[in-house]
Amino acid sequence: MSNYAALIPIAIVALSAIAAMLAEAFRQRDERMPIYGLGLIGLGGAAIASGVLWNSDAKSLEVIRSDNFALFINIVLCIVGALTMLMSNEVIEREQIPPGEYYALTLFAICGMMMMAAATDLLVIFVALEVLSLAVYVLTGIRRQSAAGAEAAFKYFLLGGFSSAFFLYGVAFAYALSGSTRIDEIGTALSAQATGTPSTIALLAVGLMAVGFAFKVSAVPFHMWTPDAYEGAPTIVTAFMSTGVKAAAFAAFARVFLSPLEPLQAHWIPMLSVIAAVTMIVGTVVGVVQTNVKRMLAYSSIAHAGYLLLGIISANRDGKASLLFYLLAYAVTNIGALGIVALLGTPQEQHDELRDFAGLWRSRPALAGLMTIFLLSLGGIPPTAGFIGKWYIFSAAVQEGHYWLAIIGVLTSVISVFFYLRIVVMMYMTEGTEIPRPRVPAAAMAGLALAVVAVFYLGILPTRVIDLALNSISTIF
Amino acid sequence: MILSLIVFLPLAGALLVLLAGGSGDRPDREGLVKTLALVVSLVTFAATLVLWWMFDPASADYQFVERHAWMPTFGIQYLVGVDGISLFLVVLTGFLTPLALLSSWDSVHKSVKMFAFFMLALESSMLGVFVAIDLFLFYMFWDFVLIPMYFLIGIWGYERRVYAAVKFILYTMAGSVLMLVAIIGLAWAYDGMTGAPSFNLLDLQKLTLSWPMERWFFLAFALAFLIKVPLFPFHTWLPDAHVEAPTAGSVILAGVMLKMGTYGLVRFAFPLFPSAAMHYAPWIAAFAVIGIIYGALVAMVQPDLKKLVAYSSVSHLGFVVLGLCAMNAQGLQGSIYQMLNHGVSTGGLFMIVGMLSDRRHTRLISEFGGLKAVMPRFVAAFLLVTLSSIALPGMNGFVGEFLILLGGFLWSPKFAAIAASGVILSAVYMLWMFQRVNYGDVTNSKNTSLPDLLPREWALMVPTIAMAIVMGIVPNVFLRPMEPSVKKTIERVTGRSFATTPTAPGFAAVPAPGSRLLAPGQTQTGGSQQPAAGSEQPTAKAARQPRVNSRQPTTKANSNE
Repeated sequence: MSNYAALIPIAIVALSAIAAMLAEAFRQRDERMPIYGLGLIGLGGAAIASGVLWNSDAKSLEVIRSDNFALFINIVLCIVGALTMLMSNEVIEREQIPPGEYYALTLFAICGMMMMAAATDLLVIFVALEVLSLAVYVLTGIRRQSAAGAEAAFKYFLLGGFSSAFFLYGVAFAYALSGSTRIDEIGTALSAQATGTPSTIALLAVGLMAVGFAFKVSAVPFHMWTPDAYEGAPTIVTAFMSTGVKAAAFAAFARVFLSPLEPLQAHWIPMLSVIAAVTMIVGTVVGVVQTNVKRMLAYSSIAHAGYLLLGIISANRDGKASLLFYLLAYAVTNIGALGIVALLGTPQEQHDELRDFAGLWRSRPALAGLMTIFLLSLGGIPPTAGFIGKWYIFSAAVQEGHYWLAIIGVLTSVISVFFYLRIVVMMYMTEGTEIPRPRVPAAAMAGLALAVVAVFYLGILPTRVIDLALNSISTIF
Repeated sequence: MILSLIVFLPLAGALLVLLAGGSGDRPDREGLVKTLALVVSLVTFAATLVLWWMFDPASADYQFVERHAWMPTFGIQYLVGVDGISLFLVVLTGFLTPLALLSSWDSVHKSVKMFAFFMLALESSMLGVFVAIDLFLFYMFWDFVLIPMYFLIGIWGYERRVYAAVKFILYTMAGSVLMLVAIIGLAWAYDGMTGAPSFNLLDLQKLTLSWPMERWFFLAFALAFLIKVPLFPFHTWLPDAHVEAPTAGSVILAGVMLKMGTYGLVRFAFPLFPSAAMHYAPWIAAFAVIGIIYGALVAMVQPDLKKLVAYSSVSHLGFVVLGLCAMNAQGLQGSIYQMLNHGVSTGGLFMIVGMLSDRRHTRLISEFGGLKAVMPRFVAAFLLVTLSSIALPGMNGFVGEFLILLGGFLWSPKFAAIAASGVILSAVYMLWMFQRVNYGDVTNSKNTSLPDLLPREWALMVPTIAMAIVMGIVPNVFLRPMEPSVKKTIERVTGRSFATTPTAPGFAAVPAPGSRLLAPGQTQTGGSQQPAAGSEQPTAKAARQPRVNSRQPTTKANSNE
């Protein structure tokens, strides 16, 4: 049994996904069934299992390793999933999305994400990547009557396919180099020849895998799919994939680059530094001119990928821990912000244009207040999770002497505050037109309340979570 | 405990206001909300007075220190305390917030609940800025201050409020974030020296930085603070923010927030990087002097009352920065005193402009004229506040500007000479404005039946003017508690500076004229000659001796390059 211990959280989520599919099969047409409850139970179970496995460093089948790093990501993913589910019920009913398929796909995607974070074999990472990607492609286009959704899903699918190919190509070179796809064996092979210039094959392996990951985390110049996919997908799916996929992809990115490829640091750090700098700049500068809130948040998510890359580039203790902390902080914040955008839609209109937020303060003061807090956290203003996250990740960069990256980071943060404030200006300082505002269901309100509590908790008393993150990285790397 | 109480009382009040205001916009609860906010701010003010009462004026150290571990892994503490420099800024914040609330009492009707909430949240964060000794804590308060102010300008301001609010927040934030990088760099430098990072100001002062590091970190800090001051040429956000802000916002902005910049210089930028500070002081002072003249000249031609007062702030704050750059007892004390004066007198001027604007819904000077016949009591109050602002002897402004010019002269006569002409210019633009608004015949028929001071406005003007006069007549009450901390700061900053900086000759000349010239203000109270005399000799000694000692670290720092 202990041989399979590391699989338990993943298995629990998979079981709840299957249960959701079965429930859909037994659902009468037009019957309302709280399928999201099944998902919440599964995610809660996975979170508890992750807690129980904490510090156990269980390995299963030699390719899945539930070390604290993976478990921390598991918990982030459970939070992402739970917040998404809490806010989904009314939204998908409004969009006429079949609930069983929606919840099952979401849960399967979370399975893939958890597997990706825990995998110690490049091929397993690839399989996990495909599991989560396929689910997310379908979720992107799940509004079958929407042309924009179909376009978004198709673009995402095509470019995602390319990126997977790049990644696989990189895996092939790594295999050619070491005769194995296991992360630890690749690491051994690389450190054996670490002295002197590395072979072309090694550099190709690093470069191609970096391209594959950069696609998934939407780093510039591999970000082209992001704005379209985020805008075309149902908003709640955007919330889910902008946080969940990012967490899983960064976990695998960190695991691959910071342990087996560590001997090649001198070669990939400059490359990633350029990518991070360009990502931060392009994400914020292009974000400034957007008039659609979802698109704006898509560019913001690109910029945040740039900040997160600093954690990997720093490659020190605090860099790794700050990556984990930032992923959690970004998850609760961004789901909150996009969740509110999703909740404001009506069956006729998505209401995701900037001008649709005009006067929200008058009609829905609570939502406007929450949205403001989430936006300020995205902008990195104290005392929110976003501020501590940015401080921590820039702190790690400065510790390694990457002053320029930190300076670009803080300056682009200021630019990003400009476009987050455009939404605030709309909500508070512009007279609104009469837009019908839907009722906000209690479950969704609870989700938003949890998110905002988390934003302040991480922003004011981050010690506990930072210590947990530090504890998570100590077992690996 | 008392400091945390003072800092978080307004915040607790803000949350209370939010609850008491009920959900949505409830005009029926407007009175309740306003009164509650006023009571909270008055209680806070009372608490700051208690703080002053309990403050030991003989000590140069931080008092009422509270220390709690916060993020021990990174040496981040909840560490607060006040010394003679921050004490009065805390009191000033406590003093001005109730007045600011009162000044917008009748002009704000839109969502009074949120207005009161943001005002109190603003007060909390400003107080936090003045008491924080841990740089991380300081930065959190420093950055957060922008948010309530942004909303105050953006929601309750005048026509171009959105533009002004966004400009305000982006401009000041762009300066601040580089300071964050420098703060992080300092903490890691401390880690490199001792093996554990720290954000504690007192720890970080022990650092010996290499010259490039010291220089860049100083510039990052100075940029953040000088934008906030604002020093010419970083001042362009200020007129917009001031003009568009509601009266309460202007009062707080001019009265307290600008002082955060000068306070930051004297508390953080100068003591943390003394060599760099001494190296760049002449440059900063040059811009300060340009700002004094430029602000005055631009103020002179403003058709809008509020803009005139805004540019006069640029000019007055130039004096404060000049005094800081002089870094001698007179200059520094004068600067800190002038921060308080400016808070009182410019706060008062904005209240006056607010009263005119409430009555006429315009702030153009040309719309007024001959008000003396219509509202004599108002004009009397206006006159007193104006005189306080132009530094008439006997009023508060005189003491501050005199000390600054004195200190400036000892340091660099040419800067002081140019700055002194700013005093004359300030009399020109203020009195000319006063004349155009209040004297002559009533030219605009709309002005014939304006009501004189209302009871609420009496409540605004009496404390402001009383404060201006008290600070002008018995400055020693304020100057004496500052003195030990001021001396300590000077020792810290100049004691380690390069011997070639222009401070050296200035300091040699300090003792004799300095103690004599400080005396007039201090003969008011009996035995105050002693601190006055005492304030100079040890300073000069301290300045001379450690400089010799400090050759070593300085040269070592240079050799690191």
